[in-house]
Amino acid sequence: MELKELFTESNVTLELSANSKDDVLVELIGLLHLDEKAREMLFKMLKKRENLGSTGIGKGFAIPHCRSLVVDKLKVAFGRHSGGIDFNSIDGQPAHFFFLIVAPPIEISNYYLPVLGKVAQFCKSTDIEIKLKNLKNVDDFLELLGSFAV
Amino acid sequence: MKENQLRLLMFLQDLLTLKKEIQDFQVVEQYEEMGFALDKKEHIEESIKEVTEKLDPELYHRFLQIAEKYDRPLAPVKNGVCYGCFVSAPTGSKLVTEHQDIIEFCNHCGRILYHIS
Repeated sequence: MELKELFTESNVTLELSANSKDDVLVELIGLLHLDEKAREMLFKMLKKRENLGSTGIGKGFAIPHCRSLVVDKLKVAFGRHSGGIDFNSIDGQPAHFFFLIVAPPIEISNYYLPVLGKVAQFCKSTDIEIKLKNLKNVDDFLELLGSFAV
Repeated sequence: MKENQLRLLMFLQDLLTLKKEIQDFQVVEQYEEMGFALDKKEHIEESIKEVTEKLDPELYHRFLQIAEKYDRPLAPVKNGVCYGCFVSAPTGSKLVTEHQDIIEFCNHCGRILYHIS
């Protein structure tokens, strides 16, 4: 599965407005279009995952992720925050680009780790942060993902 | 405020899944190659303890009993089918917790059932 197949206009925003790490998680979870109870549970689970070590991988990227019973298939979201948020990233720099990845405990297709790996690979591409910063709209983001063929 | 017992069980199951994942050397290696820090793995035990302390003791006992038989004691129900054993119309016994939450068990496999949206 290519990354571009997972993203649509409904799970991408280039205008995150959060002021904290927790608020970013809440906003990203909102892009998954789950019911309120599921959103609450997912938030708690993502926080627990963050407690084991930040998912801020540096260069302005964070990839919060977890497996949870509240979803029945792999779900993803992307958000961009122009000002940047302190995400306790490994390089100590604020995070601007956030990929959220959530999967059920068991997936027949087993996409979770491969997708996580592809997103991490995408985030490490040369000058990708500049390209993401310069995006004008969601279509540009989807086009950028497509051009990487990962 | 009391917490919904089924949601706590689901949360516990998710934490146990995460614990299993970070105990798997190969998976941890993959995470580290991707650039993720997992330097505070010991926190998972605290989280699990926090949740189990909030659970109705009888319910937690049932959970542990089911966990002896199945890797994942909870199973989703979709269209009347238990996705643990794939038998339809699975709802069997019910347990009313001290918090007055009703927990349903699959009539066929005994797993704790939950519905997802």
